Amino acid sequence: MSERAAAAATGVAAVAARTLNKTFGGVQALRAASFAAHAGEVHALVGENGAGKSTLIKILGGRFPPDSGTILLDGEPVRFSGPADATRRGIGTVFQELTLLPWLTVAENLLFGREPRGAGGLIRRASLATDAEAVLARLGISHIDPRAQVAEISLSERQIVEIARVVTKKPRILFLDEPTSSLVEREVAWLFERIRELRALGTAIVFTSHRWNEITSIADRITIYRNGSEVGTFTEIEEGEAITLMTGRRVDALYPKLPLLSAGAKDMLALTEATIPGLATPIGQPASDLSFHLRAGEILGIGGLAGQGHRELFLGLFGAPPLARGKIAVGGKPLRIHRPSHAINAGLGIALVPEDRKTEGLLLPLSVRYNLTLPILRRISRVGVIRAPTEGRMSREIITALGVRTPSAAQRVGALSGGNQQKVLVGRWLLAESRILLLYDVTRGVDVATRHEIYDLIMRLAGEERAILLYSSDTEELAHLCHRVLVLRDGRVAAELVPPVLTAEAIVSASMRQARAA
Amino acid sequence: MPRDSGEGAGARWRSPASHAFGQHIGLILAAAILLVAIIIFSVMFVIQQHRLPGNFEITSTVNNTMPLALAAIGQTIVVLTRGIDLSVGGVIDLTNALAAILLRPNLGNQLAVSVIIILIGAAGGLINGLLVGLGRLQPIVVTLATLSIYQGLAIRVLPQPGGAVPPGYTGFLVNPNAPTALVFLLIAIVLWLGLRRTRLGVDIFAIGADEQAAIALGVRTVRTKIIAYTLAGALYAIAGLFLAATATAGDATTGDSYTLTSIVAIVLGGVSFFGGRGSAIGAIAGAFIITMIVNILFFAKINPLYQAFYEGLFLVIAVVLGALIGRLVRARR
Amino acid sequence: MNNLVRLFTTRDVLRVYAAYGAAILLFIIGALVHPGFASLPSVTTILLISSFIGMVAAGQCFVVLIGGIDLSVPWVLNAAAILLATASLGQNGRALYAILLTLGMGGLAGLANGIFVVWFEVPAVVMTLAMNGIVEGLTLGLSSGMTCGACASYAPPIVQQAVHGVFLGIPTALWLWLVIIIIVSFALSFTRFGRATYAIGNNPRAAFLAGVNVNLTTVALYVLSGVFSALAGILLVGFGGQASLGMGDPYLFQSIAAVVIGGVSILGGSGLYVGAAAGAISLTALVSVLLALNMPEYGRSIIYGLVILALLLLYGREERQ
Repeated sequence: MSERAAAAATGVAAVAARTLNKTFGGVQALRAASFAAHAGEVHALVGENGAGKSTLIKILGGRFPPDSGTILLDGEPVRFSGPADATRRGIGTVFQELTLLPWLTVAENLLFGREPRGAGGLIRRASLATDAEAVLARLGISHIDPRAQVAEISLSERQIVEIARVVTKKPRILFLDEPTSSLVEREVAWLFERIRELRALGTAIVFTSHRWNEITSIADRITIYRNGSEVGTFTEIEEGEAITLMTGRRVDALYPKLPLLSAGAKDMLALTEATIPGLATPIGQPASDLSFHLRAGEILGIGGLAGQGHRELFLGLFGAPPLARGKIAVGGKPLRIHRPSHAINAGLGIALVPEDRKTEGLLLPLSVRYNLTLPILRRISRVGVIRAPTEGRMSREIITALGVRTPSAAQRVGALSGGNQQKVLVGRWLLAESRILLLYDVTRGVDVATRHEIYDLIMRLAGEERAILLYSSDTEELAHLCHRVLVLRDGRVAAELVPPVLTAEAIVSASMRQARAA
Repeated sequence: MPRDSGEGAGARWRSPASHAFGQHIGLILAAAILLVAIIIFSVMFVIQQHRLPGNFEITSTVNNTMPLALAAIGQTIVVLTRGIDLSVGGVIDLTNALAAILLRPNLGNQLAVSVIIILIGAAGGLINGLLVGLGRLQPIVVTLATLSIYQGLAIRVLPQPGGAVPPGYTGFLVNPNAPTALVFLLIAIVLWLGLRRTRLGVDIFAIGADEQAAIALGVRTVRTKIIAYTLAGALYAIAGLFLAATATAGDATTGDSYTLTSIVAIVLGGVSFFGGRGSAIGAIAGAFIITMIVNILFFAKINPLYQAFYEGLFLVIAVVLGALIGRLVRARR
Repeated sequence: MNNLVRLFTTRDVLRVYAAYGAAILLFIIGALVHPGFASLPSVTTILLISSFIGMVAAGQCFVVLIGGIDLSVPWVLNAAAILLATASLGQNGRALYAILLTLGMGGLAGLANGIFVVWFEVPAVVMTLAMNGIVEGLTLGLSSGMTCGACASYAPPIVQQAVHGVFLGIPTALWLWLVIIIIVSFALSFTRFGRATYAIGNNPRAAFLAGVNVNLTTVALYVLSGVFSALAGILLVGFGGQASLGMGDPYLFQSIAAVVIGGVSILGGSGLYVGAAAGAISLTALVSVLLALNMPEYGRSIIYGLVILALLLLYGREERQ
């Protein structure tokens, strides 16, 4: 590894960035960011969520221009007019948000822009599927039907099609942004096989991943990003040291102390024999097998790989849409939850902080106050008319209590920073006096300082005897923030982890174990 | 990679026919509705006239449907890009009025005038396209505004119904003695199938499926949208010419109804209002369904005053049924 | 104080000023080209005509705020006018019954629109378009193309009085409009219903997850749109005395235009009804100025379109950020 890396480091970089800056709506995503990758190397780009990795890749992939700074290809400064321009210059990019077209077939997507042509330059639609099948077969993929519409295939299959499309264009420089996020182990192995082939052909490969074992198994060099700039580039680095550089502080110092869970804490939420809707159940297994209890003051973590039913579980407990089967009891009382208003007004009050605060949580163009009081309007209004003084007082109180940094309650939520937006979203449910909080990946895309504040807030909420169900894509976070973690696989509980075996490694290993053979 | 990896992998390998069925369900449904409509009409016709519908019935049905079919193809192209075009009526008004005052009995004039009118329609579409594409404005309000402008221009051109279309021109476009106009539809279908096989065609579908993804794939969305609206404008102009030929005279307001009926036709023809799915063939089928409904109502001795009621009702039923069947087909898999 | 300044300078409010500014400018231009244009009777007439557009625009504003649209306006309005005349037979004694029946008809059409848009996921454009046809066919069929005996009935005198009557020097229809402007604006800005409307218009999914009853609110908004169209129909028949076929046709374009001129985003989520009301006045003033200039119909139609396009280019672009 080091030999190849040393050779690479001496030549001119195939692709390089110098002092790139990029700002989105007041948030600086990149600040004087630099980067360089050489032909024939696999270069891992690591950093926390929001460190600027995706922004860097989008700029180098021609998706949008930087505010300032230079992009160099083989030492020559370039300016991309768009993604097509970048493609022409030999850059291939697998963006984190897949760019497949849902109503086109796998074949049409795979061969988009280089369809087989026949007489008069017309596309030979008849041979699209067979051509695509051959392309896939060359890459060792036989399980994806090229005639299927992309809308019909699974997320992991889509990710593979996306990778296949970019890889078969034989790019000189290949960017892969979180290519493994929805792949299972075997598919990851397939991808790495392809990456090694391309490396042998002299391609410069840049990829991001949150899984350290993947990074160490394939990367020749590692560049660490923090807060929008490069921290350093290494050929060998220990995981602990890397995480320190990524976060800027020691791992153990990052997480707060869990409040003690009293032995007699009462059940606040009980789920029995639930079925997660829309999740394919392996043949031969009972459809419903998801049961758990959540107690007052407890932080119960839900772990496992993406696509194992976490999202559906969280939304299901909130009635959006309801779980397919199973019983929910809140504070010991059985309850039917068909839509969010049922959950919000259920005995103890259930709250959901959803995955994507921008599309599912907040109403960005509306004010902080509007966003805070939306679920409790019934409570603060008389015959449908909102009592403005009450509303103003309540929103000011919560802004102060959570330390939301905003000039006033009338400020547009969209103008706040990510962390402060998240606080508004949590604050909404504190106003609603919800005792059961479903927190879904609440620290995603939040900067380190605010993340720390959110951890403290979660602890404070648990200390107030609220019950918290927590999902995080960051296993380290789950291991440190929870009293107990349930690992989901195929929509069922695969393992229950409690201290002392509650570690990130244990969660990962429980999630990765292959499902029992059908 | 082995086929048993991932969940349910391999299960989605189905026959090409099964895929074609699922992916063209809207079109198949439209064809089925049209077939049922034709059968109902024929049965009623036989009962009342004691013979099968003949040359006259077929010819008049085809000729009456031509303008709508063409307008619907134009609307389809726009809706495929996730847009909508309300200016259809205005462009048809304008081109219809121009045809009535410009056409003369000699061939050279007819050829030149036809080309000019089609270019004028294309220009109308181009303006829509520029406003939607470059101006980044909402199609529904842009085309509502241009509808008003084009309607105004049409009345300026032909303040009173009148003018005359030379019989030779009528005979060429909408031969009253035989359904020769079907040839034009055939040409339209061939051109459509050709368009589906060009970069432009693929890009139109890509934009409708997911505009952001299309941009990332290097599709020049602005240019493609402008071309889509321009093509649509040219098609409305041809519809205007056919309308003038059928009526043998011009009227600056007869085109107005086509804004609504073109939308009805494409919805009946299985074109998705959310973009990215649909075909001109479906739109043509949708146009014929509308004509057949009118024919059936006539033979069912239903008061023609109720025509709009039944059209609206069938539109709702078709959309709801289409969505239900689409969902069933997907769920069956 | 700072907050108060901010409150009166938000983008939505600035657009409302712009719409009123346009209306005033048009009155000034009118006065310049045609002496007496800005006289009290002339202004009153223009406002009276604006009030009909304004009422339809209230309903249109509601549905546009959630990113919908109501294309069933023309025939719901027309059917309302005919229904009022035929149900009342021009008698004051039957007026209340006829008014309730007519408003109920409008509400029913809106209810059907809402139900199919929400639960059957029919696109709003398609559903309201179909409803326009359904109401048109029923109206034409049931009235035998306006040849029925009762079709020639006049509006009850009390309804005519309600439009033409004068209270404190101002026509009663304008008082009614003022009340509607106040109620609608209040509902949008200070009630749960209004909050839900803006929330849905901005992001239906997020609104749903915050406990807003998206479906019910959406249906209610379509019902209101139908009711407002019917109300405009009642007032129009009161204004003109008799109903006629096609009297609703101009109101689709005008209601959408008023909403757009008033600064309501066609994508939903932002805008105020006072703006749409100003839009209705500007639109009517524009027509009146053009009439004063002896501009023929075609010219008005063209200028209508150009004005909308100009405003869209002015406002519409920043909506996508």
